[in-house]
Amino acid sequence: MTSHYEQLGLSPGATTAQIKAAYHAKLREFPAHTYPEEFKAIRGAYEAIRRGETTQHEDFLKFRPLEAELNLESLKQVQEKAIAQLEVSLEDLIRATF
Amino acid sequence: MKVVGIDLGTTNSEVAIVENGQVRVLPGEDGDSILPSCVGFSDTGKLLVGREALRQYAAAPERTVKSIKRWMGTDHKTTFGDKEYLPHEVAAMILRALQQRAEKALGETITQAVITVPAYFTDAQRQATKTAGEIAGLEVLQIINEPTAAALAYDLRSEETERVVVYDLGGGTFDVSVVEITGEVTEVLASHGNNRLGGDDFDRLLQLHLADLFRQQHGVDLPDDAATQARLLRAAEQLKIDLSSHAFATVREAFLGSKGKTPLHLEIEVARADLEKLIHPLLVETLEAIDRALTDANLEPEEIDRIILVGGSTRIPLVQQMIQEHLGQAPTDGIQPDLCVALGAALQAGVLGGESVDAILVDVIPHSLGIAAAITTPMGIMPDYFSAIIPRNSVVPVSRSHVYSTVFDEQEAVEIEVFQGENAIASENVPLGSFRVENLPPKPAGTIQIEVHFDFDLNGILTVTSTEKGKGQQGTLVVNHASIQKLSSHDLKQARADLDALFESDEIIEISGEELGDAVEIAPELAELLNRARQALPTLDAEAAEELQDLLDQIEKAIRASANANQSTELTELQAELSDFLYYASTNEAE
Repeated sequence: MTSHYEQLGLSPGATTAQIKAAYHAKLREFPAHTYPEEFKAIRGAYEAIRRGETTQHEDFLKFRPLEAELNLESLKQVQEKAIAQLEVSLEDLIRATF
Repeated sequence: MKVVGIDLGTTNSEVAIVENGQVRVLPGEDGDSILPSCVGFSDTGKLLVGREALRQYAAAPERTVKSIKRWMGTDHKTTFGDKEYLPHEVAAMILRALQQRAEKALGETITQAVITVPAYFTDAQRQATKTAGEIAGLEVLQIINEPTAAALAYDLRSEETERVVVYDLGGGTFDVSVVEITGEVTEVLASHGNNRLGGDDFDRLLQLHLADLFRQQHGVDLPDDAATQARLLRAAEQLKIDLSSHAFATVREAFLGSKGKTPLHLEIEVARADLEKLIHPLLVETLEAIDRALTDANLEPEEIDRIILVGGSTRIPLVQQMIQEHLGQAPTDGIQPDLCVALGAALQAGVLGGESVDAILVDVIPHSLGIAAAITTPMGIMPDYFSAIIPRNSVVPVSRSHVYSTVFDEQEAVEIEVFQGENAIASENVPLGSFRVENLPPKPAGTIQIEVHFDFDLNGILTVTSTEKGKGQQGTLVVNHASIQKLSSHDLKQARADLDALFESDEIIEISGEELGDAVEIAPELAELLNRARQALPTLDAEAAEELQDLLDQIEKAIRASANANQSTELTELQAELSDFLYYASTNEAE
């Protein structure tokens, strides 16, 4: 978080108005069309500070990479459970029919 | 070197510039700031752009095209004679006309421009706009969003932050942007819109309504030919405009159809309330878009300081009324809805061209960008899930990365399919391209990690890079043209040469049919009247026919006379007389 503040030339504990003023000053210095990389860094820092400012819980909602992993063990369990349920219901069905 | 700002609109276009710190729209030789976005060819094959083309629209719809912007980024073809034109080729003609207008007004060559597009335009539509500029011979320094340009032109000059809703309802597109303005910094918080909603849709609804009324009046359908429908559409558009300032307006179109040998005309009074009933559902959609933009900007309606209306369609009283009721405040007066986009484009052009303009623009990407991924659910692996890497309304330029892992044991390859859109199902979004990362080492599922990096620049060019974390294998895809192929330099040269040829040919128009042998230019409206008069002659009684023939003779003489003098007031008067005559002749005939 400190580095974000440093990026905008701020010290931690800056007020919302100070943060915005520092951000605008940096925009003046590094317009997006001439300094795209610097602009991205400034914007990134500004967004991070504002996120930290509003609530710590927001990270909880942040999009994370998808864990595209298959747990074979639990899959097997689910499968067994499903088959067991099917068998039971078959028995019930036979009982009910006769 | 001066850079111009261009508003390439669905209905109208303008070109503007900053000079000595002052921003102004450059008028054409006729003194008109607005160039209708209409292109056509005269009956002798001469290219017409603007007012002239619009004038012949109702008489020659097969040689005239309006609202080409609605087709930008598609391969829709416009046929003129034996040649077909793509939307960006037609748009290039409009841009060339604007470039010429600017060069005449400024007395110097213009080769660079900033062009505006609707905020909600997709990549393909933006790329087509850029290509159009290049064909016209303009280097497009930046494509900026129309509502953003309007906000830029709206000079607040206050250090206090103001939050502004820009509601832009034009001829063919609708945008809403939530903007924060602090001093010279204009920052877009969120944009939403609809690329196929605008005044054109209102015209079409009214056109269908008028056709219904005609059927009720006369018990027959209107002819379905292009010329009749074009006249009806023109009448509908005029009616819509009239109803913005009057509670009732009358449509008069003579000789619109016929029943046997009897010519039929349309004369009917329409109430503003009727129009409002027709367009209300479409306007409700725009209110929903406002709500979504506010939600994305994390703002409540009460937090909005100001509402700015942009685009000709915002002149409709119901539009203003519905926005006011919905947001609880009246829109700001004193904005020029037709010119402010061009003025804003000129300001940004001034910034890029080194003029002393204090304007800093921070804009957002309107659509999410991401890839198709498989996710594991209790039901098994679900493919085709849209994983957004750059969410909509992110500030541009922007770079973002996500890490993905393999789903199968010994998976050999990964397909990176890039999409643009908001649907959770990837394939329901707009595909932008794809590439494969191959020869992955044989490892268990989930152990190979692939980082996908998206880089989106100010020109709307997306570069996708994927890196396999272990071995560092890379794949790269540059998406800067979705469905429209970016022209190769050879194709571009050819397209530009074709356009040059069209603008250079200055043939004299020959009038065919009539016994007028001289090379004289007849206004399309008059040509249409003469045509109708010829049709009407046999249906009139002897006395009226004689009167009409007399009038036609006088007009013929006047046309010959006007071949020397450029403008003939006599001819204008005779034209009005003929129009009246035909109107009343048809009225009597029908009774």
